[in-house]
Amino acid sequence: MKAVMKAQWMKEKRKPYLILLFIGLSILATIIFGDTSEFEEQTVPIFSNEANAEEIESKWSELLNEEDSSMKFVITDEEQARADVSEGRRNAAVQLMEDDYQLIVASDLPYVLQIEQLVQQVFTKEAWIQAATGGESVADARDEINQLMEDPPVQVETRTTSGDEFQDYNMGMQLLFGFSLFIVMFTIGFKVNGINNDKVNGIWDRLILSPVSKSGMYAGHLLYSFLVGIFQLTAVFLIFRYLMGYDFENMWMILTLAAVFTLSMVSVAMLIAGMTKTPEKFYMIYPSVIPIIPIISGVYMPPGTLTNPIITFIGDLFPLSHAVEAMMGVALFDYGWTDLTLPIALMLLIGVICMGIGINMVERGKN
Amino acid sequence: MLETVKLSKTFKNIKAVDEIDLYLNRGESVGLLGPNGAGKSTTISMISSLMKPTSGDVLLNGKSTIKDPSEIRKVLGVVPQEIALYEELSAYENLKFFGEVYSVDKKRLEERIQYTLEMVGLKERQKGLIKTFSGGMKRRVNIAAALLHEPEILILDEPTVGIDPQSRNHILETVKRLNEEQGTTVLYTSHYMEEVEQLCDRVYIVDHGKLVASGTINELLSILSSEDTIQIQLSQTTDSLIEKVSAIDHVLRVDETKEGIRVISKKGSNLLSQIVQIAESEDLQIVHFEVEVPSLEDVFLHLTGKTLRD
Repeated sequence: MKAVMKAQWMKEKRKPYLILLFIGLSILATIIFGDTSEFEEQTVPIFSNEANAEEIESKWSELLNEEDSSMKFVITDEEQARADVSEGRRNAAVQLMEDDYQLIVASDLPYVLQIEQLVQQVFTKEAWIQAATGGESVADARDEINQLMEDPPVQVETRTTSGDEFQDYNMGMQLLFGFSLFIVMFTIGFKVNGINNDKVNGIWDRLILSPVSKSGMYAGHLLYSFLVGIFQLTAVFLIFRYLMGYDFENMWMILTLAAVFTLSMVSVAMLIAGMTKTPEKFYMIYPSVIPIIPIISGVYMPPGTLTNPIITFIGDLFPLSHAVEAMMGVALFDYGWTDLTLPIALMLLIGVICMGIGINMVERGKN
Repeated sequence: MLETVKLSKTFKNIKAVDEIDLYLNRGESVGLLGPNGAGKSTTISMISSLMKPTSGDVLLNGKSTIKDPSEIRKVLGVVPQEIALYEELSAYENLKFFGEVYSVDKKRLEERIQYTLEMVGLKERQKGLIKTFSGGMKRRVNIAAALLHEPEILILDEPTVGIDPQSRNHILETVKRLNEEQGTTVLYTSHYMEEVEQLCDRVYIVDHGKLVASGTINELLSILSSEDTIQIQLSQTTDSLIEKVSAIDHVLRVDETKEGIRVISKKGSNLLSQIVQIAESEDLQIVHFEVEVPSLEDVFLHLTGKTLRD
């Protein structure tokens, strides 16, 4: 086994570009697609076509922007606002009236609900103040309420169903994990394909005739693929953590999950290697299948977006969805080892099944 | 030392190897001859325990190797038809890898690497990457990789296919030295008749998975000792000519060749005048006429009805 691993390492030393390229790609993809500012701050155009439009826009713009820093309400020309929504540049726009509003949307996105909630909250609060003061000294009453709210008599705290403190979801972090794991799947696959390469060019037969056992031959290749995969993920996560300042809460838990994912993914690659039999077919099939996995696993979308039970079931057959979910749990929701038991067990189960079938398929047909 | 007993292999409904019996005595050099698809590689795969036979057995010193191949693997060195080397590594690194998988002692391995590289004439190029080597050089490293653990039996599966004459001579010299100087038992498959004539004490001829003849080269040549082979180069060949020549007494067979006809007749038959008459009657001109001394190629042709490179 050691000799097989050493030979793979010797080859790697001559051509380290693939791993370096994939490490660079992981970081680049996260920087390009994982820019969280898009998710943290939304711009919502507002406009009014009332007679005193300027006054109304100014009043509500001030009140709306005071309420929530994650949304920015910008006074815009009506035509421009409607075009922005219909062409997908903005999720929604708000048409303001004296004491009312109308939401302009193009499709039913999750962000629309957030905008609607905020706008409704501001208008309701303003209506209460108006009703309480009878329309006089509204500004004083508002200041008084704001002062009172700094130390409110009653506080409402939102918690998750399991009783944990509610955290804002960080889509950027999900994409960081998603891209890192997605790209390492390629590295792992191309290394596992070394088995097919050895079989086709006769090295495998030479090894069979040597005192190295079959399990040693497989272990040499698979352990090497695992080590390369975990090295890549560790390097990427360390760069994100210490050079780019991402906070993973518990780095050891993240690395443990990365190791289990890598192990499981080595098995999936082994299954595909067993099905394809030749390196050429593997190079054709593997890169076609892998990009589908993050899509059906919902890695590129906020949680809850993917609701089709068949697609989510297929997504759950791959380790990616379990790994990303568990990593997000650790990074955002303070997951402990007990919380990680199920995703780890599922990934290991996928690993065992795929490895068993994969090796069986590689061996089958030999005689 | 090594023996196969009614060795057979069937793939789906195709019998690739059909009850082949062959044996190798210690220190012997034996050739396995046959055209492409004759079943040579399948036979070798079964002998070397890479493939299980459908029926029959492989015996090493009288002991079956089918159920427990460990013994034969210890004494066997196999040079496969393909270049079973890592292209990205140097010749030295490849040999070190194969030596390590054979658990050759570190110090001994270094000696063996240098020795085998010298034997195949690549000691000076040991640091060169395999991918930069010519086909012939690759094949020489391919042989060196099978010699590191000092095998008692060396099986070579067409080791000279597609290489330059210099590398070919080097390989043949290497195999000859291994057999003559070190007493390595050699099973050599090829479809180059002259290689087998040069290297082997005995020859097995296979065709369509079956053993069609075996024996020493002289024994095989004696198959044709009762026959004459006459090569006749003609200005043109016609069916009528072949028909008429076939009808002459003592003519056993007439084959059409690229340049004319080949006539196989009983030894000592004086056919020249009759063939000249037939050619004249057909208005054909005899360009060249030659009575051939039989070669192994002729034996093969006689037994299988085709040339080795068919």
